[in-house]
Amino acid sequence: MAPGTLSGLLQKGAIWGFIVLELIFFSVAGEFLSLSDKAFMDLDNMLLLLKQSAPIGIIAMGMTIVMINGNIDLSVGATFALAAIVLLDSMTWPIFAGLGDGVIPVAMALALLTGIVLGAINGFIVWKTGVDAFIVTLGAMLGYRGLVFMYNGEQPTSHLNWTLVDLAEAQPLGLHVATWALLIVTVLAWLVMTRTVHGRNAYAIGDNREAAVNAGIRVGPHMMLNFMGIGFLAALSAVVFYSESGSVNPNDGELYELWVITAVVLGGTKLTGGAGSVISTLGGVIAIQLLRKGLGHIGADTETVNLVIGLILIAVLFLDRQLNIKGKEALKA
Amino acid sequence: MTLRKTFAATTAAAALVCAGAAGAETMRIGITQNNVGVDSYQTTYEKAFIAAAEANPDVEVVVLDAGGDVARQIAQMEDLIQQEVDAIIIWPTNGEAVIPAVRKASQADIPVIVTNSNIAEAGFDFVASFSGPDNITQGSRSAEIMCDRFKALGIENEARVVQISGQPGYTTAIERAKGFEDRLPEVCPNVTLVETQPGDWNREKSQQVMEAFLVKYDDIDGVYAGDDNMGVGALNAAKAAGRAGDITFVGATNFAVGYEAMAAGEYWGSIYQSPVDDAEAALQTAIDVLNDEDVPFLNYFDTPKITQDNMGEFTKPVF
Repeated sequence: MAPGTLSGLLQKGAIWGFIVLELIFFSVAGEFLSLSDKAFMDLDNMLLLLKQSAPIGIIAMGMTIVMINGNIDLSVGATFALAAIVLLDSMTWPIFAGLGDGVIPVAMALALLTGIVLGAINGFIVWKTGVDAFIVTLGAMLGYRGLVFMYNGEQPTSHLNWTLVDLAEAQPLGLHVATWALLIVTVLAWLVMTRTVHGRNAYAIGDNREAAVNAGIRVGPHMMLNFMGIGFLAALSAVVFYSESGSVNPNDGELYELWVITAVVLGGTKLTGGAGSVISTLGGVIAIQLLRKGLGHIGADTETVNLVIGLILIAVLFLDRQLNIKGKEALKA
Repeated sequence: MTLRKTFAATTAAAALVCAGAAGAETMRIGITQNNVGVDSYQTTYEKAFIAAAEANPDVEVVVLDAGGDVARQIAQMEDLIQQEVDAIIIWPTNGEAVIPAVRKASQADIPVIVTNSNIAEAGFDFVASFSGPDNITQGSRSAEIMCDRFKALGIENEARVVQISGQPGYTTAIERAKGFEDRLPEVCPNVTLVETQPGDWNREKSQQVMEAFLVKYDDIDGVYAGDDNMGVGALNAAKAAGRAGDITFVGATNFAVGYEAMAAGEYWGSIYQSPVDDAEAALQTAIDVLNDEDVPFLNYFDTPKITQDNMGEFTKPVF
C-alpha cells in the first residue's frame, strides 16, 4: 500500500462514516427522547431528509466546483432570492397573461436565466479585474440583495400557483421532485469534474493557477463558466424550493452562502482549492440536514443545532489536517 | 432531556389515573415557532407555552423553532406531519410561503392552528383556527393614541410623524403598519406621515434608522414603532440628539423597557400584549379544536391601549 492511501481512504470515507454515526445516534436517542412513535430511520423520514437537503445541496454542487477552482461565491443567497422573485413575479406579468399555466416553464426559464446572468457578472469581474473572488462576490452579495429589496420594497413577493405546487409536491418513482433535482445535479457535477477536460482543468487551476496558465488553460473564461454554473444552480435551487412555497421574503436566502460553504468544507473540499469531491459534498449536505432533523427529533432547540454543527465543522477541519500528510509537511517547512 | 422524560412519565401516570374516570387520551401537539432567540417576546412565549403544556396532564408537546428561516419551517411542518402529531400550531415565518405546507397537514387530517400572526387568505381553507392578537386593530389603536396625544398638545394640525416598521415580509409588521396608516388620517387628517423604514424588530437597527431620520428631518413630532423594542431604540437615538422631549413615542407590544420608559415620562404609549396570554390562547385553541368544541375562526385575545395616563392598571411586562 502506497503511503497516504489509508489516510486518503479515511478522508474520503469520513463524511459517510459520520453520517452512519449520526443515524445510529439519533435512532437510539430517538427511542428515549422523541415523543414520536415512529422510528427516526423510517423510510418516509429518510425521503424527507433528502428532499429537505435539496435547497442547500443543489447550490453546494456549484460551490464545490468554484472552490476546487480556488474561488468562492458569497452571493448565492442573494442570487437565490432574486431568482425566486423573478420566478414568482413573472407569472403575473401581463405579457404572459394569455399563456395560462403555460407560463410556468417560461417563468422557470427566466429565473434560471437570472441566475446565469448574475453568475456571469461575478465571473466576468473576477476574470477582467483579477480582484479576489471573495471580495467580488462579497460586493455582489450586498448588491444583489439590494436589488431584491428594490424590487418589491419590504414586502414579500408572492404568487401561489396551485398547479405549480402540485407539480413540486409530486413524487415520481417515490422520490420528491426536489430530491430528483438534487440527485441529477450531483450526477452531472460528478461527470463534469471526473470525466471532462473542464473538470480536470478546474483541479489544475485550483492547485496552481500559474502552472495552469503556462499549460495553456484559459483561466479567465474557465472561471467565468464556473460562476455562471453556480449562478444557474442557485437559481435552480430557488425554482425547486419556491415552486412549493409561492412567496419569497426579501431576506430569504440570507446565510445560505455560509451553510453551503459549511457543507462543502465538511465534505472535504479545500478552501485553498485544487482538491475536493462532488460526492463528498453531497455527504456534507446530508450530514448537516441530518443533524438539524435529528436534533429536532430528540427535542433540542435551534441554538443547540447551530452550536453542534459549528463544533463539528471545526473538529472535521482539525481531523483533516491531522490526516493530511502534505499539510503537515507544509507546516514544518 | 431528563425533564422531558420525567414530564412524559408524570403525564403517563396522570393519564392512567384519568383513564378510569374520564378515559382521557393524551393529545400530542407540535408547534413550529418563528424565531425564538430574536426577541424577549418570542422567548417568553416559548417558556409560557411549555409551562402551560406541562400544567396540562392531557397534553404532550413537540416544540420546534424555525429560526426565522422559511425553508426550515416548511421542513419542520413536514417532520410533524410525518410524526403524526394530533395537531400543529404554527407561528408563520411568512404568511404565504407556508400555505402549501399547511395544506399538506390538512390533507393528512391534522388540524392546523395559526398563532400570533395569521397566514394569507389563500390558506384559510386549510386552517382550523387562528389564535392571536388583531394586529390591524393594534395599528389603528396606536394611531388613536398618537392622535389623542397630539390633540392634548394642540399640534394635531401640523404634526409630522415617522414610522419604524417591523421585519419586512412579516404579516404582523405589514398589518400593524396598515392599521396605523389607515386610521391616522381618519382621526387626525392633518398629521403627515413623512417616512417609513423597517427596524426589523431590532433595537439597534431601529436606533440607526431613527438617527438617520433625525438628520434628515428637522421637525419630527411623533414616532410610531411596530413594537416597543424598536420604539425604545428610536427613543435612545432621540435622547442622544437631545430631541426626545419634542417627540411623542408610541409603540405596540408593550415591553418592560417600554413600560419603564413610560414610567420615566419619556415614552408616551403602547399596546399591552402579553406573550403569556398569546401562548396560552394558542394551546387552548388547539385543545378545543381537538375536543371538537366550537372555536371561532379568528380567535383574537384582547390587547388594550396603555399610555402614561393609565399604565397603573397594568403590571410591568415580564419580557
